[in-house]
Amino acid sequence: MTDAVNTDRWIRRLNLVQLVLAGIIIMAPTVWMVLSSFKPSFEVTAYPPTLVFTPTLDNYVELTKTTPFLSYALNSLIVTVGSTALGLLFGIPAAFAVSWTRITWPAILTLAARMAPGTLFLLPWYVMFRQVGMIGSYTALILSHAVITLPIVIWVLLPSFDGIPRSIFEAAQVDGCRVTRILWRIALPLVASGVAVAAILAFVFSWNYFLFALVLSNGDTKTLIAAAFNFIGEGSTQWGALMAAATLIALPPLVLAALVQRWLVSGLTLGAVKG
Amino acid sequence: MSDAAATITRDRQRLEMSALSAPAVIFTVAMIAFPVVYTIWLGFQTFSSTGKQSFAGLANYSKLISDYEFWHGLWITIALFVLSLVLQLVFGVWLALVLFHAKRLPGIVRSLFISPFMMPPVVAGMMWLVILDPSLGAANYILQSLGLPPSDWLASPSLVIPTIALIDSWQWTPYVALIVLGGLQSLPPSVYEAAQIDGATPFKTFPRITLPLLLPTIVTAAILRSVDLLRFFDIIYITTQGGPGNASNTLNIYGFRVGFEFFNIGYASALMLTLTAIVFGAVLAFNRLRGAVAW
Repeated sequence: MTDAVNTDRWIRRLNLVQLVLAGIIIMAPTVWMVLSSFKPSFEVTAYPPTLVFTPTLDNYVELTKTTPFLSYALNSLIVTVGSTALGLLFGIPAAFAVSWTRITWPAILTLAARMAPGTLFLLPWYVMFRQVGMIGSYTALILSHAVITLPIVIWVLLPSFDGIPRSIFEAAQVDGCRVTRILWRIALPLVASGVAVAAILAFVFSWNYFLFALVLSNGDTKTLIAAAFNFIGEGSTQWGALMAAATLIALPPLVLAALVQRWLVSGLTLGAVKG
Repeated sequence: MSDAAATITRDRQRLEMSALSAPAVIFTVAMIAFPVVYTIWLGFQTFSSTGKQSFAGLANYSKLISDYEFWHGLWITIALFVLSLVLQLVFGVWLALVLFHAKRLPGIVRSLFISPFMMPPVVAGMMWLVILDPSLGAANYILQSLGLPPSDWLASPSLVIPTIALIDSWQWTPYVALIVLGGLQSLPPSVYEAAQIDGATPFKTFPRITLPLLLPTIVTAAILRSVDLLRFFDIIYITTQGGPGNASNTLNIYGFRVGFEFFNIGYASALMLTLTAIVFGAVLAFNRLRGAVAW
């Protein structure tokens, strides 16, 4: 019997070792990025690399001085918030209708859009937006990013709406309640947490999206992600500022994702897996 | 309520429901369906250097067949896809098992595990660019202190694809692990109890019981990753732009560059439609596979 207990203990220890190992591999690069952003410039490129140093904010100061970092950040915020709002505005009623009627093709249509390579849409958009002089406009950027947010909102909300007992709606219907009223007054408050997860996921993926802004933005509307390219060009010897930029760009999605980590995986698989 | 009145109510309700999905449907048709049809049309056009376009028939597609860069790009795309997918599935299943046996997972650990795939791929690219720098990077320092030879990583034509696969696997293995963990947690415990009573050891239960039961979940994870891997863009574009030379010039990168660096919109459209067909083909094939391993 003690043998079995011993084996059990060893298996548990071995598992813990593997868990810690995986944690280190996952965390180390990010920690290195953040550390580098606080290093004095002569120490960022020191070889062998240093782990102990006097932290400084110089890289962040330099980043805001030498690049229009804050206006890029504002552009990112405008495009991300705009496309998330648009995704929610179109996605919430659509998810409700799909869940109620079981007519699923509108949801599948938006999902197909998520599966195709972005360049497929970007080519015609570029030609069309150029013809109407919309290249570089916030409108073009928000519309293109809403293509990312809409399927996320619909597919995250579908299981939430499906989870509401239909009898609640039927009772409201018998009382003569209109469908739109049922959605806003009865269904929406019941799926509030689902809406929060959908909004955060849509925000994160819109914020992180690279390709569309690369082509559709101009000097005035460039988002942080699209501008990352400039930081690399300028920062070939300025690793400190480059890592400061990387840290700041990654901060909003990481903080938001941590808030909803518990519901995140089932949301991310677009309903394919209930995590 | 009379039958006629009920029919009227049902019709009105159907109308109201259509009105609810209309904005999403109209938006998707305007932003996706119509542009895709337009791309198909663009695929039959050529654009001269002055931007004048003319009908070219199948010229773009016959060019594609004789274009060395297309076949090279296809090969690079498939190599990157297979390498990344295998790495992420193998390590993802391993990590899921480790997490499963850890029983209690505090929120902070979960947040830590999702942090790689929640950060922008562009940031992951910037970060690894610095870590993998051939002369000053931390990765080569670690290799050297272990007595191993340093590597050129992203700067090496032969290693750039495996290196990009490693970066993507760093980002997405935890995602695969969390999906598989969900599958593990939903397995009926009675199966294990029965196996245990029959005297099966963990080394026997994994390949004979756990893995077959997990296959549908693993295939689901494979589908979700395949869609991203076949149109891989961000990390390559931020780190190598398809280089060194054309060593990481995947179809998606190649199509983007043909379209937006050389402004050959017609040929780029033909390339992107071909890539899209490959992505949808892969998804359909995996879906068949999921049907075959379902239980």
